[in-house]
Amino acid sequence: MSRWLWLLGLALCGMTDAIAQPRIDLAATPAWNGWTRPGRATEVDIRLSADTATRATLDVVAGSQIVRASVDLEPGRIVRLQVPIESAEEVAVSAASPAAPPQRREIRIAHSESPLLGVGLVIGDPVHLEGFHMVALDADDLPRNASAYSSIDALILDAPTLGALDERQLGALLVHAAECGRIVLLNVDPRVRRVLDGAGGCGGRSLMNAASLADAKEMLNSSLAASMVPATALPEFTEFARPDHLTWNRVLIVLAAYFAAATLAAIFFSSLPVMLLVPALATVAILALLHFIQPSPQLVVWSEAASGAQMARYQAWQRFPGVTRGRTRVPVLPQLASARSCDPTQAMLFDFDASRGRATFAEFDTRLFRQVSLCYSGSFPVARAIAIDARPDGLLHVRNTGSIGWPKGALLAGGLVHELPALGPGDDTIIPTRSGKSFRDNVLRTAMARARTDGTAALWELELGGVADIPLQSKGWLLVSIPPP
Amino acid sequence: MNEAPAHRLAAMTGLALAAAIAVWWLGSTRLALDHGTEAGRCADDALQALLLVRVTALAIVGVRVGALRGFRPGVTAGLGLIAPSWPVVVLAWSAGTSLATHVALTEVLLLAISVALPMVGLGLQRLLRNAELAVVTGTVLGTALVALAWVTRGFWYLPSL
Repeated sequence: MSRWLWLLGLALCGMTDAIAQPRIDLAATPAWNGWTRPGRATEVDIRLSADTATRATLDVVAGSQIVRASVDLEPGRIVRLQVPIESAEEVAVSAASPAAPPQRREIRIAHSESPLLGVGLVIGDPVHLEGFHMVALDADDLPRNASAYSSIDALILDAPTLGALDERQLGALLVHAAECGRIVLLNVDPRVRRVLDGAGGCGGRSLMNAASLADAKEMLNSSLAASMVPATALPEFTEFARPDHLTWNRVLIVLAAYFAAATLAAIFFSSLPVMLLVPALATVAILALLHFIQPSPQLVVWSEAASGAQMARYQAWQRFPGVTRGRTRVPVLPQLASARSCDPTQAMLFDFDASRGRATFAEFDTRLFRQVSLCYSGSFPVARAIAIDARPDGLLHVRNTGSIGWPKGALLAGGLVHELPALGPGDDTIIPTRSGKSFRDNVLRTAMARARTDGTAALWELELGGVADIPLQSKGWLLVSIPPP
Repeated sequence: MNEAPAHRLAAMTGLALAAAIAVWWLGSTRLALDHGTEAGRCADDALQALLLVRVTALAIVGVRVGALRGFRPGVTAGLGLIAPSWPVVVLAWSAGTSLATHVALTEVLLLAISVALPMVGLGLQRLLRNAELAVVTGTVLGTALVALAWVTRGFWYLPSL
């Protein structure tokens, strides 16, 4: 009898232990079947579950970037997160809860030196494209964040794979298409084709439809032979925004004031206490002043579209000038997509909102004169259609062929910049080609360099008032390339 | 020279040294900002320059004034040389990568040196009973101290992790 009681007691103890120690199950798989290219962003798909209700903290460490999310777990429910990450060969995913032992998974991501061709075909035929490394994909291997598409250079998808994509995957795919990503859709239903028609960026050249695999390869080869303007490279940011010298100027004034005061003190007082008191007080005052100075962040948005295109792609840079030594926490702008550190070596912690699938805050170390920048990229709907006819008398006939009007902007043609008046839908104007000015502005010069080879484009300043939490110093431009007359 | 002008001269020298390094630091920082390079390196260099310049000035002045004019004027001259740089040190630390504890310890060490060197000068003067010989010996010792500071400069302001 006593033996049975012992066994019953032990069983009860075990049950108590099991109740007190919830177990977290953690699984993590990288997008693109674990392939990416050096320096390119990708994504990790994370599945979390627990046998009791608990709150877990999830950390994803990739290079110098950490993404942290708090997740409420309930028994029997798998929480799935797709976390965008910077380029790293090893990614550590860990989940911790106050009541459960921490779980950790290490993921290896292969970096291909050759361009990557993603192939999502149900039949699974190997596709050989010269110079490319092929990665076979299932629908689940495709990412939910558009930024992760930078991992691959070209993509072939057949109709079943396309049909198996969920809403977020389709959204990311469309953003990638709008950003001039090379995509060939194989044997896609004509109705789907009509829906996708116009979604491709670079004048629709990036999104292609093929009837057979051989056609798809041929289309990709032709597309690769023609250059598409790449997304604005980061160093060009300096073309748009001059360095912020406000803090530097303030420090200069503070130091000049101190030296003036100290010189006067040395002239009129020669006692030791004064000689020590003046610099000591100045040191305390400067430290206090550094904490008092409010840094002024700066936002620059550069967007591009072809005339008549439905989507414009953009890159944005949000710069935070440092004033004091310490940790800074800044909100990530909610209306701009794919937030990341502009400098991959800059250690940064992102707070990730699991319910919305995006980063909400960024945290990083800062110091006086250090300028840390967050980069964003994505696309937005646009409706600017412009047609130009060059007349023999040296005049340009400019028409708004779109359905909505546009504000006053600039027309870049023939190596000169002309004023472009505000025009309603269907309105037109005449611009004398010789009345233009040369490019003195950095923005105009960059716009001209980014325009098509014949150099005809229209540039408008973006109205950024609708962007939430926008810094005071914000500027944005939309460059619309115009087909040659 | 009576005491007041001597104090004033030391303070002015200290201010001039601090101002020269501040101008150099702010200039190089401005260039770094314009070229998008790391400004923290300029700040670390400025901290080292402030240290070496002040050690050099202290080594030359501290022993000499201590030997010729006594302990108290020597300490005053030393403090007059090092104290005017404190605001620049704080700003350069804010912009650089050095640990706060290292910077603070270095300043404490400089204060200790500014007290110790006049004592050495005074001791030499009493030992050798010849002010000129004490000054020469003090200058040699000061030069050795400067050389030591130069050789070990890498250990003074370690960058923070």
